[in-house]
Amino acid sequence: MISHLFKLIWNKKKAHALLIIEIWASFMVLFGLLSLIVFNIRNYSQPLGFTYENVWAIGLQSNQDTVGIPQKAQRIFQRLKAYPEVASVSRASNNFPFSSSNMNTRVDHEKRHTMVEYYIVDAHFSNTLEMPLVAGRWYRGADSVGKFKPIVINQKASEELFENENPLGKIISKDKQVIGVVGNFKGKGEFMSNQPALFEQLDENNDWNKTMLVRVKPGTDAMFEAKVVKDLSAMQAGWSVEVDHLTDSRKTQHNLTLVPVIIALIVSGFLLVNVALGLFGILNLSIARRRGEIGLRRALGATGRGISTQFIGEIWVLATFALLIGLLFAVQFPLLDVFDLQRGIYVTAMLIAVGIIYGIVTLCALFPSRQAAMIQPAVALHEE
Amino acid sequence: MLANYIKIAWKVLLRHPFYTFITLFGISLTLTVLMVLTSFLDHLFGSHYPETSRYRSLYIQQMIQRDSARTSRNGGPMSFKFLTQYAKSLKTPERVSISTFYSTSNAYVGSRRIKLNTKFTDADFWQVTDFEFLEGKPYNEQTIAGGDHVAVITDDFKRQYFDNLEESAVGKDIEIENLHYKVIGVVKGSPVTRIFTYADVYFPYTAPKSNYQRTGFRGDYVAILLAKNKQDVPVIRTEFQDRINRIPMPAVSDGFKFDILEVPSEPYVENFIGMILDGGAGLRMLFFSLIAFILFMLLGLPAINLVNVNVSRIWERASEIGIRKAFGAPVRTLVWQFIVENVFITFIGGAIALILSFIIIKLINASGWIAYADLTINLSVFLVSVLVCLVFGLLSGVLPALRMSKLSIAEALKS
Repeated sequence: MISHLFKLIWNKKKAHALLIIEIWASFMVLFGLLSLIVFNIRNYSQPLGFTYENVWAIGLQSNQDTVGIPQKAQRIFQRLKAYPEVASVSRASNNFPFSSSNMNTRVDHEKRHTMVEYYIVDAHFSNTLEMPLVAGRWYRGADSVGKFKPIVINQKASEELFENENPLGKIISKDKQVIGVVGNFKGKGEFMSNQPALFEQLDENNDWNKTMLVRVKPGTDAMFEAKVVKDLSAMQAGWSVEVDHLTDSRKTQHNLTLVPVIIALIVSGFLLVNVALGLFGILNLSIARRRGEIGLRRALGATGRGISTQFIGEIWVLATFALLIGLLFAVQFPLLDVFDLQRGIYVTAMLIAVGIIYGIVTLCALFPSRQAAMIQPAVALHEE
Repeated sequence: MLANYIKIAWKVLLRHPFYTFITLFGISLTLTVLMVLTSFLDHLFGSHYPETSRYRSLYIQQMIQRDSARTSRNGGPMSFKFLTQYAKSLKTPERVSISTFYSTSNAYVGSRRIKLNTKFTDADFWQVTDFEFLEGKPYNEQTIAGGDHVAVITDDFKRQYFDNLEESAVGKDIEIENLHYKVIGVVKGSPVTRIFTYADVYFPYTAPKSNYQRTGFRGDYVAILLAKNKQDVPVIRTEFQDRINRIPMPAVSDGFKFDILEVPSEPYVENFIGMILDGGAGLRMLFFSLIAFILFMLLGLPAINLVNVNVSRIWERASEIGIRKAFGAPVRTLVWQFIVENVFITFIGGAIALILSFIIIKLINASGWIAYADLTINLSVFLVSVLVCLVFGLLSGVLPALRMSKLSIAEALKS
């Protein structure tokens, strides 16, 4: 049966070439779209690793003031801590969670190396963002006096650098000692893939890295925010004080991912509807043209079910041809590692795309094939 | 003749409403997407409010410093001093404006928090751009020299900050980060996509926290060079480049030693594309493959679909072709007829698309997705769309026409 269908298609390969190209192109579009969606859903399903509600990031800029910056930043830190509305404060580099700035660095251990997201944060960071530790502990102020800089890494970094070994106490890049491990840390929001991260203790005598992350108590409003900005600006005239709510920055980060996906989804959706309508029309026309053939088969004893199976089978064979060519292209992505995505993402996308294409062609063939099944042999043959 | 072809096409359209729907759906959908896209590109790159002179402007947005071994690289906006020295003093431009990109801040009114973007500019900024002043006037050289704490705000910010909208905001006081400024003008705001002019509150560069005093090469400032006319643009580019070339190398600035200094002055489109492509080879490849993929998807797929439907519908017209051939119509005439028919149908689709894009653009403008969005279907957008219509019609008409005209008379007449 199947080999017969293949023969039928092959005999009319020239007429079907365009149809195959169309199905192939739809498959490629679907594959691209689904890779994007699967990638993002997979990222989204992994935990963020910290909480962000009620956390504000207060960015400070000293502008033309150049004297005694560390002491002034320290005074601001103490002042923030003293407010009754504030639960916890932490000083951090300006690549704080959901911010638009990035810091990367390469670290190595023995012969292994990896790129990590590099955060310079103080001892209160894990507390402020409520990050649970998987192993070891977060560094404390007193740790800075040791021979090595104390660092905390996330589990992904631990896997990259140490595989299954216990990372605690290991030395990275000659001068950093791992003293704690956290789970995930996806600093750019849920849609970010789980990247290796490294937290290094912040040197408080430094002019830089003076973003204050403040966890306020629930129910604190803009009144308090205005008061903080006023107080801090009054303390250090000439400094810029800017408050960002992490919930707002998170929304911005999400939009960066979601807006292109939604636009692609709408456009591809319309394209596929277009293709489906076209396919439906073509199948309808081709069945109208083959009435004689259908009439003859019915006269020779084929059942209505047999006829409709034949037409659906034909379109399936056609789709299979197109999908085989499509898969030949699609398989290059994981093989050549084009966009640096996990192979599983491409495979999942391919499988879903294949499923959807078969679904669409079946749906398009269903109505015309049922009409074909209802053709009466006498009527059809009479026309001939 | 032409009228005849079109009449036939119209009759064919009416015969099978379902197939007509499929055809027109495909065409109008594709063209709508393309029109909205062109309109958006026009919004991004065209000369629109308040940068109506963009076509004769050059933008200096960043400086790139490299060492001779090309191992390290430093890039970004420049200091006010650098731009004053090398750009402001140029002879050919009509005017040169120096301003910062916007930076974010907050203002508080009672228990409300207003997010806002601030920009520090010189007095020429108001000449180079074409802001519409709803109230008051811009600050001038005297205000700037006096170091007055004044500000120009947008109508949107006025709406958020002041309760009484009827009353003029000029002369009133606004408080931002514990500093008080006097409002001297209210302008109609600029869309956020025009980053050289977008902000909510504009300060003279002598206002606090502008960092115009920086002495190194790098800082927060960018410049717009306005030429007297379009012909002067290349002249200005060379003049500015000469100045940059004359800076002695190697130099040290802000603690960074460099041997190569690039400060491009570019028309807006080049500057914008440069910003994207600056991200390295990976991003460039992603950018171009994305554009290729989208174009393929947008044009190729509906065209193939249309060709397919058209090819399948040959048989409807078989007897007509057979008779015309039997009476001696040459292949060329038949192909010509079918192409005209296809182009005609495409133009109907184009008209529907025009209406659809008009609605979509209105929706985008009203949605607040981009504040102050002013997407329009202007002449250039329309011409591009007509051109695309033609290409589309030809693309989807040629193959079916060829197939149709190749039918042998006997076979065609048999059905």
